[in-house]
Amino acid sequence: MRGAVLSISLLAGLAAVTAIGQAREDPRKESNGSAQAGATTIVQTCSACHSLKYIAYNDLLNLGIGKQQLDELRGDNDLLSHIAAQLPEDVAKETYGVIPPDLSLMASAREGGADYIYRMLTSFYQTPQGTTDNHAFAGTRMPDILGISYATDQQTVSQIRQTAHDATAFLEWAADPKANERVTLGYYVIGYLLFLTVILYFWKREIWKDVTD
Amino acid sequence: MPKRIVAWLDERFPFTSFVRHELTEYPTPKNISYWWNFGFLAGFVLVLQMVSGIFLAMHYEPTTKGAFDSVQYIVRDVNYGWLLRNLHATGASAFFIVVYIHMARTLYYGSYRAPRELMWWVGQVILILMMATAFMGYLLPWGQMSYWGAEVITNLFKATPLIGEQLVYWIRGDFAVGDTTLKRFFALHYLFPFLIVGVVIIHLIGLHHVRSSNPSGLNLAAKDNIPFHPYFTAKDFFGLGVFLIVFCGFVFFAPDFFLSPINNNPADPLKTPPHIQPEWYFLPFYAILRAIPDTLGGALAMTISVIIFALMPFLDHSQIPGGARYRPAYRVLFYVFIVDLAALTYIGAKPPEAGWILAGRIATFVYFAVFLFLPVLSRLEERWLVARGLPDELAELVKPRDRRRTRKERRTSERDRRIPTAPAG
Amino acid sequence: MLASLMSGHEPINQKRRVLLRNASLIVGGAGFATACWPFARSMYPTPEAQARGITSVTLSHIKPGDSQIIAWQGKPVFVVHRTPAEIDAMRNSSGGFDPQNDSQRVVEPQWLVVVGVCTHLGCIPNRREGGWLCPCHGSQYDNSGRVIQGPAPRNLDVPPYKIVAGEQLVIGEQA
Repeated sequence: MRGAVLSISLLAGLAAVTAIGQAREDPRKESNGSAQAGATTIVQTCSACHSLKYIAYNDLLNLGIGKQQLDELRGDNDLLSHIAAQLPEDVAKETYGVIPPDLSLMASAREGGADYIYRMLTSFYQTPQGTTDNHAFAGTRMPDILGISYATDQQTVSQIRQTAHDATAFLEWAADPKANERVTLGYYVIGYLLFLTVILYFWKREIWKDVTD
Repeated sequence: MPKRIVAWLDERFPFTSFVRHELTEYPTPKNISYWWNFGFLAGFVLVLQMVSGIFLAMHYEPTTKGAFDSVQYIVRDVNYGWLLRNLHATGASAFFIVVYIHMARTLYYGSYRAPRELMWWVGQVILILMMATAFMGYLLPWGQMSYWGAEVITNLFKATPLIGEQLVYWIRGDFAVGDTTLKRFFALHYLFPFLIVGVVIIHLIGLHHVRSSNPSGLNLAAKDNIPFHPYFTAKDFFGLGVFLIVFCGFVFFAPDFFLSPINNNPADPLKTPPHIQPEWYFLPFYAILRAIPDTLGGALAMTISVIIFALMPFLDHSQIPGGARYRPAYRVLFYVFIVDLAALTYIGAKPPEAGWILAGRIATFVYFAVFLFLPVLSRLEERWLVARGLPDELAELVKPRDRRRTRKERRTSERDRRIPTAPAG
Repeated sequence: MLASLMSGHEPINQKRRVLLRNASLIVGGAGFATACWPFARSMYPTPEAQARGITSVTLSHIKPGDSQIIAWQGKPVFVVHRTPAEIDAMRNSSGGFDPQNDSQRVVEPQWLVVVGVCTHLGCIPNRREGGWLCPCHGSQYDNSGRVIQGPAPRNLDVPPYKIVAGEQLVIGEQA
């Protein structure tokens, strides 16, 4: 009985860890290459309207973006300054009726996370009235910047999908920039704990040999 | 040298004898299972929460302008701030899981019964303090869910007769949840864990007086107890290892598992999110709150649903010791309760639509019915078990009901004994 | 399984027991010590604060004979553009009771860069003819930042700094 409880709890622990580890292997969570490509889109296109107030330009170095590329991206902006929206808030309010939300936490602030962002960016369509709307976010004020609603050939569509994918990868990084550090440290911690727990198990079993029914 | 220090200390303070009596030689039933590990785990998580919380407080800013930003500052800029934050956020859920299991064990094995009623009540106080701490702590990140959770729950106090509105403003320090509320919640969120430590010490002193319960529900002979050290130190630490593996799995690989994405949006007092719900550990009570259409009634039902556990020693009338071990009907009732709790948790997370409201009402009814049915059930069960024949070690504990006197008869007979009658003569 | 069949008659391997106990203690203790590190480390300045620990200023607007106070890591740094006469005077003296050569205290002789915190009790000395006078307890410093009259025990500290291309002063980084 006791042995069964032990093995079940150990197995449950291991299973939980591997299951969670598996979940991390989301295809979107590939190397930083995609996120780096997305940085260009975000800084050059999205930041026309959206800010990323928790991301400073020199944070992009941690993403693996080279110093030269960073200098091109930031232009006159200070290294320590945060990515600001180019469109002033009152103008945005006048034009779109809303202030475009900050994007730093977008990938963790919406139900569905990164998947939702990707879906939203690629779900624009033309309504019969000649306006654009979005399947993932009905009634959004955001225009179809990437142009998927009026793309005609397959090549453009797949190109837009790639851009959306990269931008999503970047936003996912921006929402959780310590993810890589966290997961790496996590493997060490879990490895250590497994080792320690096995030793403790054998010690416990050894001294409990004294205890008889 | 250490020996001389200990000798010096022992002349002035019962150090060695305390360690020997309470930590090493402390007699513990040898038959207690791994379900008895959870008290130790709860103590561990309490310390972890306090330590990680104190380090977080060094960087946190309790203002409506700065709170959300300071959490992001902790997570992004502070060295290992992300780790502290994940430990603390996951730790809150872990604390409730561990304490709920600890309570479920107490209920299953009837550990709340004499002479451990006081321990059970002290444990209730800990639970209530924990809930208050968790509720106030959840406001601190100043996200949308933080804000609206605090707004809605503080609003419940409006149902208090006569002083409702004033009470709400007194709690908030303002007309709505704002800067003042945030600051006092931070102050109290920092204070309450220390109160919990105090109550835990009382809990432990009580434990060491009445000793651990055990699965049989019987008091064990001395030979069936073993010293706490090394047997239970080893067992508790092994249990801690298993716990930490699972816990760190969440901390490092799924830190947002217990968190709502809505709370990653800064609080906006002018816009309620489409669906708000408390953290999972409050869901059953939240479901009970919503099941009652009247605000005051709902708030009362919710309060009672938390403190009704304290009545357990009075509701359980069985003379058969312990809990579910020798008592099949009690066991069934226990599982009914657990399933009902799970249902309430599930319902609490659902939008308040017709079907879910009905389900919530049924589950709420079952919740209270379990407690109210227990006195009857425990007597019926006892009679049935006695009729069926009890094992010897139990039979001698059970006095026949019809020979037991009512309280009135007992009082009369006591008076008879006290007042000597005049000798006949 | 065998152990329970023999119901406690299995001989106890004392050596193995001690080994397992010590292994638990050492591995667990090491893990505990390591786990303390992130907590302690969280109190150290953040990478961003460390980046702010380097201050860069242009020197071209400070005329010979002038001085300026620059904030660096929350402390004042005195920058003096010394005239040739002042340089000569400083080179010919070795200061007061903490003797030091002027050449050890400057990177380029016309620029004196010292932390403007009195080494006595931390007040900020005031600039005056030929050096500084601390308003708190009257310590005096010369134009090399050397103490010439007590109670200050030491000369003013020289921060790590470098001068890039003769006109850009970077405090916080050694050349």
